[in-house]
Amino acid sequence: MVNLRSGLLLLAPLALVLVASFAIPLIMLVPTSFREYSPGHGIITDGWTIRNYLNILTDEYYREVVVRTAWLGISVTGLCLLLGYPVAYLIVRGNPRWRLPLVMLVIFPLMLNLVVRSFGWIVLLSNRGLINNLLIDIGLIERPLKLIFNLTGMLIGLTHIYLPFMVLMLVASLQNVPRDVEAAAATLGSSRFHIFRAITLPLTAPGIISGSILVFVLTISALVTPRMLGGPVYQVMATLIYDEYMQLLDWPSGAALSFSLAFATVLIIWLSSRMTKRWAGLA
Amino acid sequence: MGWAGMTDQKPGFIVSSFALLVVFFLQLPVIVVVLASFSETSYLTIPPQGWTLDWFREVLTDNTYLNAIKISLILAVSATCLSLVLGVAASYAIARRMVPGSEALASFLMAPLAIPAVVIGVAMLQYFSLVGLRGGFVTLIIAHVVITVPYIVRSALASLSGMDVAMEEAARVLGADSFTAFRLVTLPLIKPGLVAGALFSFVVSMENVPVTIFLAGARQTTLPILIFTSVEMGVTPGVAAVSTLLIVATLVVLLLAERWTGFHRFV
Repeated sequence: MVNLRSGLLLLAPLALVLVASFAIPLIMLVPTSFREYSPGHGIITDGWTIRNYLNILTDEYYREVVVRTAWLGISVTGLCLLLGYPVAYLIVRGNPRWRLPLVMLVIFPLMLNLVVRSFGWIVLLSNRGLINNLLIDIGLIERPLKLIFNLTGMLIGLTHIYLPFMVLMLVASLQNVPRDVEAAAATLGSSRFHIFRAITLPLTAPGIISGSILVFVLTISALVTPRMLGGPVYQVMATLIYDEYMQLLDWPSGAALSFSLAFATVLIIWLSSRMTKRWAGLA
Repeated sequence: MGWAGMTDQKPGFIVSSFALLVVFFLQLPVIVVVLASFSETSYLTIPPQGWTLDWFREVLTDNTYLNAIKISLILAVSATCLSLVLGVAASYAIARRMVPGSEALASFLMAPLAIPAVVIGVAMLQYFSLVGLRGGFVTLIIAHVVITVPYIVRSALASLSGMDVAMEEAARVLGADSFTAFRLVTLPLIKPGLVAGALFSFVVSMENVPVTIFLAGARQTTLPILIFTSVEMGVTPGVAAVSTLLIVATLVVLLLAERWTGFHRFV
């Protein structure tokens, strides 16, 4: 009993902070998302409506933004997997002396301020940026390519920002692949590619899946990079929420969008944790 | 061993070269920002046309930047310290099963990681405006505790469940009260994990935009908010200079953390 009392005393301060300034604020978004907004009058406080949620599905502009967000999530995840697997493979299976320097070079961009990393891509990709200047100087193009404020810039920037997460997840799961299974296959005459496809790849599937889910969820939630590299016109869900609150002052629509986005991320995380638990049970 | 060495799956030349290119891609924006901060022109060419330290002088004499750096540091240090105290206490209660439902409680403490930061931001904007606390610096610190505490809880729970409880019990049997046992036995054992968690918490607070931008008052512009909003106005070399300072600071902290705690094991 004494144990329980001191346990509660230890837990209570943080639990209170989280209830008062995380859980309650989130719950209070619920009523806002069912209110009606009229331009010029603000939020109308009598009566409820589900129009804000219907709009997300039916309004062409909202739908475009939602589809774009999901599509970006899928593409960035695919790119991170494609670029990240060889890096993880080199870290785990390459020369052990290079291991620590490589890991540090993967962690370094991860620890670096997100705004700084996005700014770096602006310097590289903008109309008067490094890449365009370089291409014009060597005479490959005459006028600058549009690399920013569109899908290209967003894909490059987001892939760069979430790649370290994917690499670290894959490193963890590649380390768990038993080497003697591969050696056995090699002894039995499998080619290196066949060993990779039939043994290494399936055994790292848990890492591939958890890395992909992490990158997907982070990508669809991202605000800073999409705003800095997508500009005010090329919107995703997070930047749209930002504008609904800060510029348009249409809080009800913003709240409905917020809930849809949060629902998506929580659902994906919950499903994946259930899936991995079931797999762990089977193993 | 010779046999096993020959059959070992090692990355070939093509895979290694590709991987090294990707690692270079990861450093590319960093390199470019550093070059831009020393370049005379406001846009960057290769090779840069003339070198200068003017942008650094401009930043280090500009009160807007200095204030932003100061606010960011105070905010990140306060939020991390508060998160450490609250997070370690709560994690201890959960890890030692002092309270029922420890798994559900742990997920609740980690929940701010599952909700998109921009959603937490707008929820707090609406709530703190309603109760009249928006714009206060304490509000901002509390908001940063919410977004940083999951990193502390994660590393504290991992470290606490990884250590041998018998050592703590031994100290208790020998007459130490529970706080002394925690301070002299448990804390030193979980310290490397906590240092890593605190570093994460600090980094997360230092770079946060999506929550801060909705809550910060006019005089509480943090460094990332300043960069974020000034980039919307157009690229200035001052931003490159202040970014270079951040890059150097990050590099130093990362290398120190690696020396002290073997930081890469905790990532």
